[in-house]
Amino acid sequence: MSKDKTPQTTRRTTRLSASSPSLTNAVSTTSHSLTLRDLVFGGEILNADDLFSSLPGRRGVILELIRLLGPLNSKMIPLFLYGGISTGKTTTVLQIFRHLKRPFVYVSCRTCYSPRILFETILNQLLLHRKNEGNGYSSAKRCEKPADFVNHLRDALVNVINGLKEKTERSSSKKSVKWVKGNMIYLIIDNLEFVRDWDKSLSILPFLYKLYDLLKMPELGLIFISSASPDTYYSDTGYEEPIPLYFSDYTEEDLRQIFLRNQLNPKLYASFLDVVLKPFSRVTRRVDEISTAFSQLFKIYCEPLQDQTVVPNEEMKRRLFSHLQPHIAPSLNETFRVPSLCSENTANKDTFKRKVSGNKLGVPDISEEIDFHMSVCAKYLLISAFLASRNPATLDASLFDSTGGAATRKRKRKASEKSMEQKDIADQELLMKGPGTFPLERLLAIFQCITSVAEYSLEEEELGNGGSGGGAGDVGLMSDVLLQLSSLCSANFISKGSSCPLEGSTRYRCTVDENMVLKVARSMKFPLSKYLYRN
Amino acid sequence: MGGDNPAEKALILHRARLSDPNFIFAHFSHSPDTNYSKLKFIIASSVTEACNNSVLLLGPRGCGKLAVLELVLDDLLKEYPDMITTIKLNGLLHSDDKCALKEIARQLCAEHQLSFSKLASFDDNNQFMIDILRECGLAHKTVIFVLDEFDLFAQGKQRLLYSLLDAMQSVSSQAVVVGISCRLDADQLLEKRVRSRFSHRKLLFLPPSKEDLQGLIKHMLLLPTDSNIPEDYTTEFNARLLKLLEDGRCRDIIDTLSTSDSTFNHLIRFLFIAVCHMDMKLGFLTLENFKAALAGVQRQPKLECLKDCSVLELYVLVCMMRLELREQESYNFNTIMKEYSSIHDTFQTSDYFARNVCLRAFEHLLQRELISLVDSRGHTQSVEYHPVKLLISAHELHLGLKSYRCCPAILQKIVDRG
Repeated sequence: MSKDKTPQTTRRTTRLSASSPSLTNAVSTTSHSLTLRDLVFGGEILNADDLFSSLPGRRGVILELIRLLGPLNSKMIPLFLYGGISTGKTTTVLQIFRHLKRPFVYVSCRTCYSPRILFETILNQLLLHRKNEGNGYSSAKRCEKPADFVNHLRDALVNVINGLKEKTERSSSKKSVKWVKGNMIYLIIDNLEFVRDWDKSLSILPFLYKLYDLLKMPELGLIFISSASPDTYYSDTGYEEPIPLYFSDYTEEDLRQIFLRNQLNPKLYASFLDVVLKPFSRVTRRVDEISTAFSQLFKIYCEPLQDQTVVPNEEMKRRLFSHLQPHIAPSLNETFRVPSLCSENTANKDTFKRKVSGNKLGVPDISEEIDFHMSVCAKYLLISAFLASRNPATLDASLFDSTGGAATRKRKRKASEKSMEQKDIADQELLMKGPGTFPLERLLAIFQCITSVAEYSLEEEELGNGGSGGGAGDVGLMSDVLLQLSSLCSANFISKGSSCPLEGSTRYRCTVDENMVLKVARSMKFPLSKYLYRN
Repeated sequence: MGGDNPAEKALILHRARLSDPNFIFAHFSHSPDTNYSKLKFIIASSVTEACNNSVLLLGPRGCGKLAVLELVLDDLLKEYPDMITTIKLNGLLHSDDKCALKEIARQLCAEHQLSFSKLASFDDNNQFMIDILRECGLAHKTVIFVLDEFDLFAQGKQRLLYSLLDAMQSVSSQAVVVGISCRLDADQLLEKRVRSRFSHRKLLFLPPSKEDLQGLIKHMLLLPTDSNIPEDYTTEFNARLLKLLEDGRCRDIIDTLSTSDSTFNHLIRFLFIAVCHMDMKLGFLTLENFKAALAGVQRQPKLECLKDCSVLELYVLVCMMRLELREQESYNFNTIMKEYSSIHDTFQTSDYFARNVCLRAFEHLLQRELISLVDSRGHTQSVEYHPVKLLISAHELHLGLKSYRCCPAILQKIVDRG
């Protein structure tokens, strides 16, 4: 990601490892005990200017948030920060706390995926407890019920706040450097939207909202962060809403500033952004998606340049633009995904290169080959599953009979208006229903039809097909086929539905799209279109 | 650091007052014929006359049921020291009977300096509670049980409510059960055996009237003269505030606020934001602060969300809107794509993207919760075939498109026509 690195690291590594330098250089210190200092960001002081410049486009929100957090030791009503994905909610909050140097506890409901883990994580941080070998990676307190949690939390908070008060008194007398400010402690609960999917969400959500009132500790500041807006949290009898604060998506201008950060050659990148940012921001304005697309495009953009540090002039800009232009449209029409070969990259560099060079030639996004191995049997099975899903079952006989199927089909009757209407409705239904389901017997029948056809035309396939030739081989084939079918099911190419209440047998459905099957068919030189019924 | 500037001191004072849920209700504690005096009378009489009692405090959320009760309890504790024990339970925490009795035992132990056993069973705890109640009754001590979120205790078998109310039937005990609920039908939820043991005293808590609001704001924001804030600053702050509250525009703001939601909590949140917006250099509240606070409290998340959508996402929304206007009973991504391409065919738009890009935009909309899947359970299909529905109205979409920064003219036209 070309996005600024600092907030990223703070988010990923969390405060515990990012803050205390003693931790990073001495991993072996199992006996290292946590102190109150670990509730604050350590390291260098982040001043206000750095804060604003590290988060472009967030100035208004930062000011608002600092205002709501208030001056030192001022009480606050719970806050609710919300806004779309990748709008810098978490980063902004954490950076502000780094700037303010106030103690806080951060938990994310994404990693703490159940009430118990959430509660124990909060308590562990407050009780300055770290899971390690010595304590068998256990939590400081075991608590599952909200009732226990509130009691433990109250005790822990009182301890921490008393500790903080002592510290501030001592440091004010000694005039030493203050590493912590104030005796408020803030509890930040991130990714609150995940709680809605928990089993006990109906009781946990109102509980979290009410936590402030339950504890009755004015020294606690509560901050919720969620990507879903407050109106999407339902509750039977309602709850007292916290103060909402909205993080809007980045505008085009904000995006430009974000992408220009940490660039080696800002002038060159600016000219690149002039070209690409506008069309891309019409599709999406999410930083994470755009940055993956841009990193590819920028490589292409820089290709004609020998020296990447030059400051481009008008003429060069035009040249670079004409070089890039053919690539913009195809990459707009690509989903902004991380290349699927990512994991293979390290092991298999040259295939990656081939893929990239393929892109350079302006080949559209559909690569000609399937990028994983499938056995011949599995390929045939996939094709037959696809056919079984798309074709109506009544046409099987005419499509697969020995005379060669589709070509003989004729339509003599002229389409009347009524039949056109019916066809429209049928079209509609097809769009709604998606691929049909089929029983195993039908799949096997189609499979045998198409493999037998293939055997006639391509004899070398016989070897690949494993147990072919002769009646004895068929049994071997069948067991092999069933094995392949189950592996296709587990790869999610074919989904296994519930059993049909009338027939009692399990029904299958092909979930693969047409492009994929076409690729498979092409690799087998199988005439797919001949067997596919199109209305 | 803090302390030199009187404005900052005032801010800290205000914030402390606003974040204390009880402060606002102290305003009512002096006038007679309020819930405060009624409740105080009920509890005080059972303390002095050594009888059992039960009462339900009902009313919408954020109207100070618990806060008024706490004020009453504080006052009574001052009047009758050593005669009152309070046990606080919350339906969100202790709706489970076992857990609730354990908590009662724990709080009773803490109150009477007894050692609490975690391993005690439900029956042990029950017996313990009955014994303590009798002992307290003999010593003329009143035990007050506060059951917040009372409706949640009425789920399940109501064993706790039964054993609590049953223990109060004896002459020797002296206890008050105060139930708090925002469900007005809370007493209808009780089982017959529980209901017959419950006195049907109910107190209804209502949001403040418009006339009260002015008084409440003054109560909350006027600085006290006996604080450590310099006196000349205090007088000027108060004078300016009173002048501001007389202003017609300020009254308008408060009227708009109370029309949407006139509960105490809403008012507190509004004032909190207003105080936070106070300019430290100026040091006084201005009309702009109130305006900003109103905008901060009254949010329209769906419209904000629409403003954040990309152009392609707007296209998808408009397609869905067209399908809904045609009264198509259910539709999915495929139908939307068909509509999208038909729009493209008729208007020749420049924004025509491939199917998978549209699918991504569609997924973004799902994440933004502007659209949702109809009945997402029981579907093994991929997302393209799920029936979907819009979560915004045509009117909202219309407003959203109007306020969108550079909305394509075609979309505007389509929506206007539809």
